[in-house]
Amino acid sequence: MDLQIKNLLKTFDGFVALDRITLNVEEREFVCLLGPSGCGKTTLLRIIAGLMPYDAGELLMGGRDLGTVPARDRGFGIVFQSYSLFPNMTVAQNIGYGLKIRKAPRDRIAARVGELLDLIKLPKVADRYPWQLSGGQQQRVALARALAVDPSLILLDEPLSALDARVRADLRTEIRDVQRRLGIPTIMVTHDQEEALTLADKVVCMNHGLIEQVGTPQDLYLRPRTRFVADFMGSSNLLPTAWVRETMPHLMPGRPDGAENAFEACVRPERVAVTPAPDADGRVIDLTFLGNIRRLRLSWRGRELLAETNRDPGVEPGAAVDVSVAADACAWVRA
Amino acid sequence: MTAPSLALTDKTRPRRASRPLDERLLFGACVLVPVVALVLFFLLPLATIVWRSVTEESGGIGVANYLALFRTPGILRAVGNSLLVGTATTAVCLVLGFAVAYAAQRTRVPGKRFVAAALSLPLLAPSLVLGLGLIFLLGRNGLVSNLLGVRLNIYGFPGLLIANVLYALPQAVLIIQAALRQSDARYYDAAEVMGATRLQQFLGITLPNVKFGLLSAGFVVFTVTITDFGNAVTIGGDFSVLATEIYNQVTGQMKFGIGAAVGILLLLPTGIAVYIERVAAQRQFGTASESALPPVPDRLPMRDIPLFLVTMTLALSIAAVVATVVFASVVRLWPYRLDFTTKHYAITLSGGYDPLWTSLGVSAATAGIGTVLLFALVLGLRRMPPGLAKAVYLLAVLPVGVPGLVLGLSYIFAFNLAGTPLHMLYGTALLLALCNFYHYHTQGFLTMVTGMRAVPAALEEAAGCLGGGVLRVLGDVVVPVMVPTLLSVFFFLFMRSMVTLSAIIFLVSPSTNLAAVTVMRLDEAGFVSQAAAFSTCIMAAVAAAALAMRGALALAGRRKAA
Repeated sequence: MDLQIKNLLKTFDGFVALDRITLNVEEREFVCLLGPSGCGKTTLLRIIAGLMPYDAGELLMGGRDLGTVPARDRGFGIVFQSYSLFPNMTVAQNIGYGLKIRKAPRDRIAARVGELLDLIKLPKVADRYPWQLSGGQQQRVALARALAVDPSLILLDEPLSALDARVRADLRTEIRDVQRRLGIPTIMVTHDQEEALTLADKVVCMNHGLIEQVGTPQDLYLRPRTRFVADFMGSSNLLPTAWVRETMPHLMPGRPDGAENAFEACVRPERVAVTPAPDADGRVIDLTFLGNIRRLRLSWRGRELLAETNRDPGVEPGAAVDVSVAADACAWVRA
Repeated sequence: MTAPSLALTDKTRPRRASRPLDERLLFGACVLVPVVALVLFFLLPLATIVWRSVTEESGGIGVANYLALFRTPGILRAVGNSLLVGTATTAVCLVLGFAVAYAAQRTRVPGKRFVAAALSLPLLAPSLVLGLGLIFLLGRNGLVSNLLGVRLNIYGFPGLLIANVLYALPQAVLIIQAALRQSDARYYDAAEVMGATRLQQFLGITLPNVKFGLLSAGFVVFTVTITDFGNAVTIGGDFSVLATEIYNQVTGQMKFGIGAAVGILLLLPTGIAVYIERVAAQRQFGTASESALPPVPDRLPMRDIPLFLVTMTLALSIAAVVATVVFASVVRLWPYRLDFTTKHYAITLSGGYDPLWTSLGVSAATAGIGTVLLFALVLGLRRMPPGLAKAVYLLAVLPVGVPGLVLGLSYIFAFNLAGTPLHMLYGTALLLALCNFYHYHTQGFLTMVTGMRAVPAALEEAAGCLGGGVLRVLGDVVVPVMVPTLLSVFFFLFMRSMVTLSAIIFLVSPSTNLAAVTVMRLDEAGFVSQAAAFSTCIMAAVAAAALAMRGALALAGRRKAA
């Protein structure tokens, strides 16, 4: 089933939290709501879950209007950042809770719990209590709990934010595998652009209650449409039109029509090519070693540029370098 | 629990041999003096009562006293009555306490502030004020009997049950409310999305998560009820209970051995209560997540209207009972002649208002001595090796497990021994102050520990590195941060000491009579209006202290902000 959101409006005491959001989540699709805190992404997720009412607009699941359906009858699964396993129940009881509420027979619940524990690769923890598990384990159990009732939609509210880096990477892969295998449409809220890039089929980048851009991870990274998206998805050089016209006229043909200040050129640091040349007009300001890549700050024709390379550029701070940007390396974004 | 964190600074920092001698002496004394006092005025009396309970009249060692309990007919009946009234009070308090706590914590039922204020009234007064008020309202010559023209009989089980419920309810509410606060809105969100109805959420999440709170509240109420003295004396009538019976056995018939044996038995329920509380604290610690969001109170008429009626009825009842006592103290003849008079404030019992002044003095001493000793103890504990600190910590929280009645009894055994150096203290106001302090030692200590945790060790170290001596660091860093805590502990000890009856009832002498005891004597002698007048004076003093505490805390807070 697919989820359709049309012109969804939500205000809190006059403050517009969601400004007429329109979005589709297709069958089997993994959608990430990405944005800084306060952008409305969690509000949108809670409205979809039915935990919060909305002011205007439409919410349709497989064509059925969800507006009057309470959360408990929507049949979704949800996972929170804070695990939120019921502390008074064992792992098995937590996972089986939704089925118990649906009055499933005891042996069927037990079978389903066993199946899910295998799926999350924790077959031996059935009788433990949440506080006896690590954070990563608790979050897997929370995922199993959400999956137990065969939800028509899975909602993940920053599920990885409370975990440390290593566990986070492992669990990220696992969530992706499970979602692919079961083919359940999934919406995840995150403020981590790397997480969104690796997990999502479709990224929804939000800011101030508005959708800035919707697209595949490649779209958002390589072809950002607004300055905000370019800035939020990794680092970039944002260059004013006048300066580009003067220094790199070969980038101008791609520019959409519009006022001088309406668009800026976005050039990703890895697309700024740097070659040492004794009489060139670029200068290396400093150089940072980050392991897999090296980051250079350059001074070139009156501006400071950021460049990244995964090879040793063979320069020292202060060295003269030649700077070039390929014609296809630039995306014009709305300022 | 908290013991390891007390000594954290010592654990993380390699021990330095060059810590100045004066510093070591100071902090050594800080721990030594309070610990010696704890041993002398808490452990020793407790050991004495254990010893006396197994000392037979012939002088040998044995269980004769315990066996004698069962052969004393009065005692057996009193035990049965105590268990009956204790169980009934506990059951009623748990149901009502849960309703009040739930309304306050999880709903938007109106009038929460009024309910909270009414529920704090019993804490401002000696327990017997509730008994007194109930008699004024529902007694044979009470307001209701007079209006309806029937003669209600409130004395005995029904009166005692109501008085105990009103007295113990605030404590049950505090514990259950704290347990209800320990939750996460996400549990309910998760359950909601999984399809659970409100009732299923309540039965599956809310109730199981407060079961330790309920259990702990149950034991506290049970203990408070079976060891309470005031209500049993005022409204118990012929319904004899354990507390009054021990008092008779010990002070009336001088059967010290039996008294000691009953005292030991009374340690059991409190012991269990304290144990459950510790287990609960650990379990809750295990489940609390740092990012927990408190559940948002909501509206639900089907639930809220009955809850509103129940909580309001309770709050109004408590307020009415206390207000009746005040009102009855200023009318000529309650409830027949209601014209205003102050004649009941001329106390005819020997000594007049002396006991009130004694009480104020004793309470001030309790608060002063207690605050200084507790501050020193907590200060010293921070610098002790972890193992030792943990042992001292355990000793310091032990007094909560000993009901006042048992503590008072044990003081008789320990200090009423001619020929020992401690005998000098017997019958003095100082011993009363010490008894009150150790009665409420644990609560004061835990408050102090929490307050001390707010003093950053780094601040102290910084001041030390700048060349400040120990006393400078104390005066410039520790004390300013601790002012609100010190004030809270001081006024807590003062107010409790003003109203408690159960420990000091065994220790007062004609020259050191206390206010709460005087109310009881006036009531016993039939001067009920004077008893009401005296109670009003106590409540006024305690309320004034409570206001003074608020004022002082506000002042301290403002100075900090400035």
